[in-house]
Amino acid sequence: MSTIAANSTCRRQFVYDCGPAKLVIDFENAAWRESLHGLLSQYDAPWPTQTQAITVSVNNDSVPAFQSGIIGRYLTLQRLRVDCIDGRLVSIGKLGSRMEIETNAGCARIYIPPQSDDVALVEEIEQHFVLLLARAWAHAGWGPVHAGSLVPADDSRCVLLCAPSGSGKTTLTASLLRRGWRTLGDDKTLLRLKAGAPCARALARRFHLHPEAARWFPEAGSLTVWPRYSRWTEKRLVQIDEIWPGCLLDEATPAALVQLERNPDGPAITVVPIHANGVLNSLLRQVVIPGEPGHARPLVNCVAQTASRLKGARILIGPEAFASPGVADELEQTLQSLLT
Amino acid sequence: MQSNSDVCRLILRPDVVSTVLSDGAVILDLRSKFFFSLNSSGWAVAQMFETGASRSEVLAASTNWGADNKDHPKINALIDQMIAEQLVEPAGSALGAPAKVTLTKWMQPTLSKHQEPLQRIMVSAFDPGLPLAE
Repeated sequence: MSTIAANSTCRRQFVYDCGPAKLVIDFENAAWRESLHGLLSQYDAPWPTQTQAITVSVNNDSVPAFQSGIIGRYLTLQRLRVDCIDGRLVSIGKLGSRMEIETNAGCARIYIPPQSDDVALVEEIEQHFVLLLARAWAHAGWGPVHAGSLVPADDSRCVLLCAPSGSGKTTLTASLLRRGWRTLGDDKTLLRLKAGAPCARALARRFHLHPEAARWFPEAGSLTVWPRYSRWTEKRLVQIDEIWPGCLLDEATPAALVQLERNPDGPAITVVPIHANGVLNSLLRQVVIPGEPGHARPLVNCVAQTASRLKGARILIGPEAFASPGVADELEQTLQSLLT
Repeated sequence: MQSNSDVCRLILRPDVVSTVLSDGAVILDLRSKFFFSLNSSGWAVAQMFETGASRSEVLAASTNWGADNKDHPKINALIDQMIAEQLVEPAGSALGAPAKVTLTKWMQPTLSKHQEPLQRIMVSAFDPGLPLAE
């Protein structure tokens, strides 16, 4: 991130490189930059190609009149409804914020209502930015996938880890990083087809690790020294290669998929093969597909083509699995077998 | 004699998106959020509806794919399933000739509906799922 301009008022411009998108953000009130810096700085993986800049103005006044026609046909998120109107994306938040995106023109405008000290409003504005980035990445040809990944040593193929937040993607990943595996990240990956073959790329270099994970990974030390990820969770934002140097990769070829589930009453680990339709089902559920056919089509194509090339398994993780002797061996063997 | 439903042209709804795989296709209904897998013969049938076709035009085309009269009930059943799932709608009258669809090897056409629709309400534009309690 860099500051590129300042003037005599508190209005300032900041640049964030977020994977294949560059945001040039003009904050009417620089205090908003402080609130959003954590989100905007997390997409810190290096990116090889020049990206098109998107100019974003963040305005604290003159919120345009509420547009009752926005019903969430394009996307309905927990905090936002989004529609496509005359080629622009318009998102409105429950607290009255609003964003208009003109991706082709490379610009967006965000309007924030006056109660700017409201933490919930900050999270609403964060969601506008996530939407803006998701569209910018898609515009650049990349599909955002909510999945982690694991790559064996001396291999360029990865296993995609699919699960809802809180299912243990990060812990499973960490359990194999300490055995020499590598990763593109614990829950954010970009995917595209490259000459017809799937290609996954890193987006964020820091992990969201719960401090309790230190019980299983003593080399991590006390995880409480790392900054908290958000107010909703105890998880910390951990620079993972400071714990396991050399574990971060930029790019890999997806070759397998694991659908990870908690199994609170079951054994430490249970492995169930899944077949083609199950793999497709699992991967599609990790991708946000908008309701606009022109925007949905490339994402569906990328996911379906990728899924058709992946071997898959469900892995059910029981309580205290990572404290159980032999579980890491079994995990490693299972993932290796999916790649053979 | 042909009934009206045999000659009425149908077309895939504009918010049904498809993608072709080596052994068939996947289609996603953006309105219902259900998605479907088709084998290659099923996709040949569905592909006719990309530009609009009637049931009788699909049956006629199927002879070029290697199907015979005994296969017509299976083709009709697949078309009925597409109608029941509202994947197709009546086409306007201004359509030209139906698309010429080719198929390497005919087999019983299938259209498999996946059990659960995709999420309607998502956490964020990056994360479709609801987080589990920690």
